[in-house]
Amino acid sequence: MNVKTIAMAGTLESSDVSIVVEPSRNEGITLELNSLVEKQYGEQIKCVVLETLEQLKVKKAIVKIHDKGALDCVIIARLQTAVLRAAGVETFNWEEEK
Amino acid sequence: MEFLNLKECIIENHGTVHRKLINEFLMKQGLRAEESIEYTFALLNEDKVVATGSLDGKVIKCVAVDENYQGMGITNKVISNLLNEAHRRGRQHLFVYTKPKNLSIFSDLGFYKIAEVSQEVVLLENQPRGIDGFIEEISSARRDGSIISAIVVNCNPFTLGHQYLIEKAAKESDFLHIFVVSEDKSDFPTEVRLKLVKEGTKHLENVIVHQTKNYLISSATFPSYFMKKYDDTVKTHALLDIQIFAKYFVPALGINRRYVGEEPFCQLTSKYNSTMKTLLPNHGVEVIEVPRRKGDREVISASRVRKLLREGKLINVKQLVPINTYQFLISEEGQRIIEKMEKALALIS
Amino acid sequence: MLKLRRTMMYVPGNNPSMVKDAHIFGADTVMFDLEDSVSINEKDAARFLVYNALKRIDYEGAEIAVRINGLDTPFGLQDLEAIVRAKPDIIRLPKTETPQDVIEVEKVIAEIEGKIGIEVGTIKMMAAVESALGILNAREIAAASSRLVGIAIGAEDFVTDMKTTRSLDGVELLAARSQLLFAARAAGIYALDTVFSDVNDEDGFANEVKLIKQLGFDGKSVINPRQIDVVHDIYTPTDKEIEKSIRVITASEEALKKGSGVVSLDGKMIDKPIIERAQRVLTLAAAAGVYAIEGGKEIGY
Repeated sequence: MNVKTIAMAGTLESSDVSIVVEPSRNEGITLELNSLVEKQYGEQIKCVVLETLEQLKVKKAIVKIHDKGALDCVIIARLQTAVLRAAGVETFNWEEEK
Repeated sequence: MEFLNLKECIIENHGTVHRKLINEFLMKQGLRAEESIEYTFALLNEDKVVATGSLDGKVIKCVAVDENYQGMGITNKVISNLLNEAHRRGRQHLFVYTKPKNLSIFSDLGFYKIAEVSQEVVLLENQPRGIDGFIEEISSARRDGSIISAIVVNCNPFTLGHQYLIEKAAKESDFLHIFVVSEDKSDFPTEVRLKLVKEGTKHLENVIVHQTKNYLISSATFPSYFMKKYDDTVKTHALLDIQIFAKYFVPALGINRRYVGEEPFCQLTSKYNSTMKTLLPNHGVEVIEVPRRKGDREVISASRVRKLLREGKLINVKQLVPINTYQFLISEEGQRIIEKMEKALALIS
Repeated sequence: MLKLRRTMMYVPGNNPSMVKDAHIFGADTVMFDLEDSVSINEKDAARFLVYNALKRIDYEGAEIAVRINGLDTPFGLQDLEAIVRAKPDIIRLPKTETPQDVIEVEKVIAEIEGKIGIEVGTIKMMAAVESALGILNAREIAAASSRLVGIAIGAEDFVTDMKTTRSLDGVELLAARSQLLFAARAAGIYALDTVFSDVNDEDGFANEVKLIKQLGFDGKSVINPRQIDVVHDIYTPTDKEIEKSIRVITASEEALKKGSGVVSLDGKMIDKPIIERAQRVLTLAAAAGVYAIEGGKEIGY
C-alpha cells in the first residue's frame, strides 16, 4: 500500500496508542517511538509495527508512535487504520487476513 | 478501565442546543468560546457538560474538564478526538493555547512548550522540532554587523508605506530581516503578499525576506490580531508573541533593532507596539517606531488601499503602491481578489 | 448446562482499555459495539480494534457478541467481512425490521464462513428490534434463521419511533416487550431487554430488572459493570425455588432411571415446561454460587 497523505489513528488514552503515518521521500520505514514502557517493550513494539507494515505491503513511510501502554493487538489495529487512511483505501482486503 | 458512560457530542460550526450548554460550561471555567471555532467536541453526562475542547484552525482551544471528572483521563479523550479531527482536516502541526497549570498534562500528550506568559498562558505545539527546526532554517541567513534589524509586516497588500519603512530600515542597518506574516487570513493570500514584498525590495542589497510560519503574528501566537477585537486578552497575546520573538528570533539572527510602523489608528497594533517598547530593550533590542509616510493628503496604509479597492477606485490606488503591486492588482489574479473583496463588502452592507 | 444470558454488557468498540478488560466484570455475554457508540469517522478504527482484540485476547470463556452496523449503511458489509473472520460467538444485528434483514446478514456470514473454512452456521446471530415495524414483525424475525439465539429490544430508538419517551415504570414499552417475548418464546430463543441508561439511578434500574424478569426476559443489556451484579442478584432464585427445583429434578432423574415416561412429584404429574424451569432455576442458582450442580453433570429430562 502506498502512503499518500498524512493520517492518524488511535488516541492518547491509557491502553491506547496514537499513530501518525506520513509519506516518506526515502525508501524504507522511519520509526519514531515515544512510549511509557519504551525500556521494557520498545523493541517488541518496533517488531510488531514492522511486521504489520510488511503485511500491509508498506515499503516507505514515516511512522510516529505515541504509546500509552497498548497491547500488541491494539498497536496492530491502530496501525492498520492509520495506513489505510494514509493510503486513501476505503475497503480493506480481508481475504488476505487469515 | 473507566466506564463513565459519557455521551459524545460533536458540533461543527454553530447552532445546536449543546452549543449553549458548552458556552455556559466554559464561562464557569473562566473561558470564552470564540466565534472562529469550527469544531467542538464535548462529553456529556445526561445533559450536563463534563468536558469539552475546540479546534480553531491549527489551534486547540477552550479545553476544559469539570473538576469532578479530573484525573480520569478525560482530557486525553478530548485532545485525542481533536487531534484525530485535525488530521482528518489535513492539519498535523497543531498548537495549544492553555493555562500554565495544564503544562504537564499536555507534555504528556506529546506537546512541546514554545513560550509562556507567566501565570497566564502557555503556547505549545505538537512537533518536537517545530520552532527549533524553523529557527535553524532561518539561521542560515544570519549576517554579522553592528546593526542587525528586523521588521514584521503583513503587507495586505504591499504599499509605498511598507516600501518606505523597509528602505529606511535597510539604510540605517547593516542587515535587515523582513518577516512577512504567513497566516493566510488576509484578503491577499500569503504567497501573493510574500511575492510582492520580495519584488518590491529586490533593489535593496542588505535585506532578506523570510516567512513567519506559525511563529510570529500567527493565529497561534497572536490570535487577537486575526479576531480584530480589542479586549483584555490582547496584552497577553502581545506579550506571548513578543516573547517568542525575543527568545528565538533575536539570538538566532543576532537582532538588535526592530523597526515598526507607527500606528495611530488601530488600537490593537498600537498596544502591540507599546508592549514591544517595554519588553524588547530588556533583550538588547532597540525599537524604532517610524512615523507613517504621508501621501498626497492622507497617510498611506494597506487598509486605505483595501478600502479603495473595495469601492472600485483602482485608479486612486496607483499612487499608493509600488509599481509591482499595481501590476499585480490589474492582473487576472489580482482582479479576482479584488472581486472577492467587493463581494464581501456587498454582503456586509 | 443451559446457557445463561442474564447480562449482556455493551463495550464501545473503539476504546482499547474497555475492550481489553471487558470480560473481567463477570457479564454472561460481552458485546463489542461497532454501531451507535462509535462515531462515523471512527468506524474503521473500531472495526480493526475489535477484530484484532478478538483474534488475540483470551476472554476466558465469556460469550462474545459483536454488534455490527446495518447492511444499509456503508459500514455493515466491511464489519461482517472483518468480524466473521474474528469468529465471535454471536453477531448482533441492529435495527432489525423484517425477517429479510436477518436473512441477508445470514447469507453474508455463510459466504465468509465458507471462504475461511469454518463450518457454515458456526457463528450465531442475535437481532435487535428497535422500531414499531420491527416489533410487529418480531414473530417472523425470531424465526428467520436457525442461527438466531435471541432477540432483543432496543428501547431508545423504539420510543422515538413511537413518538414518546422512556419512563421509569416503562408503560410505553409494555406492549412491545410482551410482543417480543411472545416471538422469542414461540421460536424457542432468548429474549433480552434493553439498556437502562441512567447509571446512577440504582433503584430505578433494580425496579426495571424486577419488572422484566417478571415479564419473562432471560436477561438485560447493561452499559456499566456496576449494573451487572444488580441483575445477577435479582435473577438469583430464592432458597424455596431452589429447593423445589431440586425435588423436581431429582424426581425426573429417578423417572429416567426407572425408564418411566411419566414424572410425578407429591402425587402430581410434572411436565416438560416445569422440568425446564427447574433446570433453569438451578442453573441460575449455580451461576450465582448459591447452589452447586453435582459434579457439574448435565441434568437430562
